[in-house]
Amino acid sequence: MELGKQSRRSTYQNVVGIIVLVVAVVAVGWLEIVQPFGLRFRDLTGGMVTFDTLIRIGIFTIVVVGLNLLMGYAGQISLGQAAFYGLGAYFSAIMTTLAIRHDVLPVMSRSWWWPWLAILGGMALTGGFAYLIGRPILRLRGNYLAMATLGVGIVLYTLFREGDNITGGSDGISGIPRLAIGEGLKLWPIERYYFLVWGVAILVIIIALNIVNSRVGRALRAIHGSEVAANVSGVNTTRSKLQILVVSAMIASLAGSLYAHFQALVAPSPFGFVASVTLVCMAAVGGLASIWGALFGVAFVFVVKEVLRARMHDLLHGAGGEHELIAYGLILILIMIFMPQGVVQGLTEIYQGWKKGRQQTTRARDKTESSPRYQLIDESN
Amino acid sequence: MNSRTFVFVSLVLILGLALVLSGCQVPTPPPEPAAEPEAEQAAEPEVQMGAAYKIGFAPGVTGGGAFLGEPERNVAEIIAAQLEGSGGIVGPDGVKHEVEVLIGDTETNPDVAVSVARRYIDEDEVVAVVAGSVTPISLAIAEVAEEAEVPYISMASSLAIVTDPDTGEMRPWVFKVAQSNGDVAVWQVERATALGSTSVCYLYENTGYGKDCFNNSSAALEAAGFETAYEDSFERTDTEFPQVTGVQAAGCDVVVVGAIPPGASLATIALRDAMPDIPIIHGHGVCTEDFITTAGNAADGMEMPCSPVIIAQDVPDDHPQKDVFMAFSQAYTEYTGQPVSTFGGHGWDSLGWVIGALETLPDGLTLAEQRAAVRDYIETNIKDWPGTAGVFNITPDDHYGLTEESFTWFKVEEGSFVPFPGEEW
Amino acid sequence: MRQILGSTRGRTAVLIVAIVALIVLVLLLGYRKNFGPEHYAQLAIDGIRGGSIYALIALGFVVIHSVTGIINFAQGEFVMLGAMLCVTVYHAELAALSPLSPPLKMLLAVLLAVAGTTLIGALLERFAIYPARNRRAPVVALIIITIGATIAIRAIALIIWGTRPYFVPAFTTLEMEDLTLRLGTLIIKAQSFWIWGVVAVVLVALALFFERTIMGKALRACAINRRAAQLMGINPSRMSLLAFALAAALGAVGGMVLAPATRPTYDMGLMLGLKGFVAAIMGGLLSYPGAVVGGLVLGVVENVGAGVTSAGYKDIIVFVILVLILLFRPRGFIGGGEQAVEEA
Repeated sequence: MELGKQSRRSTYQNVVGIIVLVVAVVAVGWLEIVQPFGLRFRDLTGGMVTFDTLIRIGIFTIVVVGLNLLMGYAGQISLGQAAFYGLGAYFSAIMTTLAIRHDVLPVMSRSWWWPWLAILGGMALTGGFAYLIGRPILRLRGNYLAMATLGVGIVLYTLFREGDNITGGSDGISGIPRLAIGEGLKLWPIERYYFLVWGVAILVIIIALNIVNSRVGRALRAIHGSEVAANVSGVNTTRSKLQILVVSAMIASLAGSLYAHFQALVAPSPFGFVASVTLVCMAAVGGLASIWGALFGVAFVFVVKEVLRARMHDLLHGAGGEHELIAYGLILILIMIFMPQGVVQGLTEIYQGWKKGRQQTTRARDKTESSPRYQLIDESN
Repeated sequence: MNSRTFVFVSLVLILGLALVLSGCQVPTPPPEPAAEPEAEQAAEPEVQMGAAYKIGFAPGVTGGGAFLGEPERNVAEIIAAQLEGSGGIVGPDGVKHEVEVLIGDTETNPDVAVSVARRYIDEDEVVAVVAGSVTPISLAIAEVAEEAEVPYISMASSLAIVTDPDTGEMRPWVFKVAQSNGDVAVWQVERATALGSTSVCYLYENTGYGKDCFNNSSAALEAAGFETAYEDSFERTDTEFPQVTGVQAAGCDVVVVGAIPPGASLATIALRDAMPDIPIIHGHGVCTEDFITTAGNAADGMEMPCSPVIIAQDVPDDHPQKDVFMAFSQAYTEYTGQPVSTFGGHGWDSLGWVIGALETLPDGLTLAEQRAAVRDYIETNIKDWPGTAGVFNITPDDHYGLTEESFTWFKVEEGSFVPFPGEEW
Repeated sequence: MRQILGSTRGRTAVLIVAIVALIVLVLLLGYRKNFGPEHYAQLAIDGIRGGSIYALIALGFVVIHSVTGIINFAQGEFVMLGAMLCVTVYHAELAALSPLSPPLKMLLAVLLAVAGTTLIGALLERFAIYPARNRRAPVVALIIITIGATIAIRAIALIIWGTRPYFVPAFTTLEMEDLTLRLGTLIIKAQSFWIWGVVAVVLVALALFFERTIMGKALRACAINRRAAQLMGINPSRMSLLAFALAAALGAVGGMVLAPATRPTYDMGLMLGLKGFVAAIMGGLLSYPGAVVGGLVLGVVENVGAGVTSAGYKDIIVFVILVLILLFRPRGFIGGGEQAVEEA
């Protein structure tokens, strides 16, 4: 199953990208905390994008980066990624609330480092689970793999919803505490949590970029190109695919835990089939084989939804979520028609095409004005 | 540039421009507290305009709670139109304030709900939030409201919304207007006892509401000595009901259903097809015309506890809620052309509380003071307050304010709801 | 153990053992709930009814996938559209329609519903799929387009029809109450016979279409080997359009015959589509008879399973089946599957 071209950016481009991202994140956060001239972040965007949105973009970016590693580079389709996300969220929720309410390990469960331990525990649990189901499932290819992951995702979602005593059933688990470092530094209000989430997101992006440009990444790309050829060339395809599945599951679990401490409530609905599909859409819109595409795809989808939600109500009086959904569906279709490689790739191509067009125009101009000897050389390429 | 990029870029530009231009609003400063022009003085006494109040209203218009959210949104639109027509409310010091009701949609998704709530609180600077047609959404918003110290009224049924999960006490900033399933269960126990049954079968929809119905009903009925012969859930969208086979095989003598239409109607039809004579008792989610129209003939003989608002005209004049019933049902049927919806009534009651609170606020308070004042008003002044759902009595220990007496027992006879008082059982 | 799992014969043996074990489990669980044979029979019959709808949806999936390689996530929405359009036409109060008697109105509603949905399917293909394929979009992009279409269609349905459930009278009585057949303790509604009859007619019609008409044969050729079909002069884009139109028609037929039995709502398509898809997988996504059998089997298993355990676990049962099939026999149970599991 073809999953599109892969973008290989030079290390220079990647480093520049990271620096730009860090600067942007810090600038926005500083703006909100310091508020020079009484100006707040919301005034810049007219209230269309809020910190709540930025944090959610950060959390989803983490998941989608993992998904991109799996789908874009290794070429393995996952329509159940939201279930891994959910495992992390529920594990964190259960460890930090039920433990206290049932007085398990009373001293440890109330300390500040307990939620962090739960996050790591969730990652380990989810990674282990991914390993167990990955071994049989990764033998499948293409559509069949997609459907197997879909099935696993829905089974997990149903377990979340039915496990009344452990998972709180349809109402979920509420009252999840906020994260804190040490006894004093609470990672709340929202501006502080924003820094945490984006710090983790940037870290994950750096790690992912490193994976892509490493020996493991090359092995993945070989598998994506042709698994048979990769096998023949000595790549241990089973182990590589499994490794990347486990990594992407752990990343998703991390994001899920961050979500749990942000929302203070985990209910089953954000972890179902629709959520998995949305994640794949975000990945595809950004560009499946591009880590930066993950960031862009998530941001694009969120900003579009937020803008639509904020503006649709003005444009069409009485519009509720339904009008926004039509626009959202149409936009998805349009993007996939015109930029099936994802927006990042599409924009890059437009930019390069524009640059080349300009070069050709200048060269053509130069040609007519230049001395005859250049005419002998064929400049068309 | 080739044609495809051209088309795409131009499409994007047009879309982007449209969205940006539609958003280009010069932030309007709050209306200056100035006197109206002298030309009006002959007709009206001089009215001072104070700062506008905003109320954030967000039911679940789409998604799983849409059946409850749409009528609630209709009611918000009715009230918003009323406020616009009258120009706002007048405070105790004679200063008039515009009241704007911001209407949004939680999409029955907790993530969206929290985003919307935060937007209302931080960006729109509302004085109160009324939102959440179903319980998990309300729980999520309750957390946000508690932290931001904004009064929040939920339109969902579970008592867990107003209760702090760790301490078991009332959350100071959270209230609710919808009847609880616990009160429904009290009636169900009485009726089942009057029927002389000994074993009960439960069918409930696989949502938070359905499970809460089951938990409350089964707890109350088991405590009263009834045996649980069978219990199972069904999806709102189910077309087959294998559970009915289970009910048949279990041999119970009364069935308790906890669901809203259309699921409740479909389950009723399936039950009636298999067992034409078994008594079936419902919860308060089916107190709408939709239940009868969807269930058709099978609805006859169904019994459920409802607020008498569904038969507003037939309520005796000395009933404490008669005026509220008439006002609500007239406004609702006029605006929507559809029969009255008890869920819409929750919107009516909650906005009524907030507007009542706003009418007592003097001019010149800061936003934080306004919010605290509204919260205090609701906690202390909602006493013997007639609403569509019942007569409310809010205290610091009870942010729910209703008891089982807010219900009347109804039966469906020949396609309409008929009161079925205890004397006739 | 690995050796057994490796060989096809070994895997089939494991599968048979698993099925027997499952049946024993079902009987045990049913025993705990006092199920007698009449209860199982009732569950099975109801399951076949639901399964027939899954079969129709599955056929739609197979048609589109075999011709274009796309998994059409909007398939469930075609069912919803068929049901809703039927409702709207039947209840439409137009002067031109009032002289018609109810049976004629029903017929008109059914025909218009199927025609309308087919048109929508064709439009979807022309305006969303065709431009993308022209630009040689990868299959993932095409799948996402169908996802976008699902979202948009559902939102438009919400605007037009709102959240309320609608009703269509039963075909037999043309009233809300349907005729109920009672065989002993078994209850079968007349609408079920309509459903089975319609499915049978559709299957026969499809078989004739595939065997006797040029277009049908061309579609089958695409299913067997897309590239070879193209080389033989079959126009792939026209086949794609035909496939979508046919799948939409199949879905609409399922929707309009299901509408009197349930109460159509705007979001009924999602789960139906997913389960129909599982049914299609049972036939390996490439076999028509496999899809039908898969649908019926799925319906029965789901219903019986839900009856003996708890309805909340219905989804788990269906999707565990899916995963097990994919793991042990991805080519499906019946026929088809000429294309290798790994697609180059």
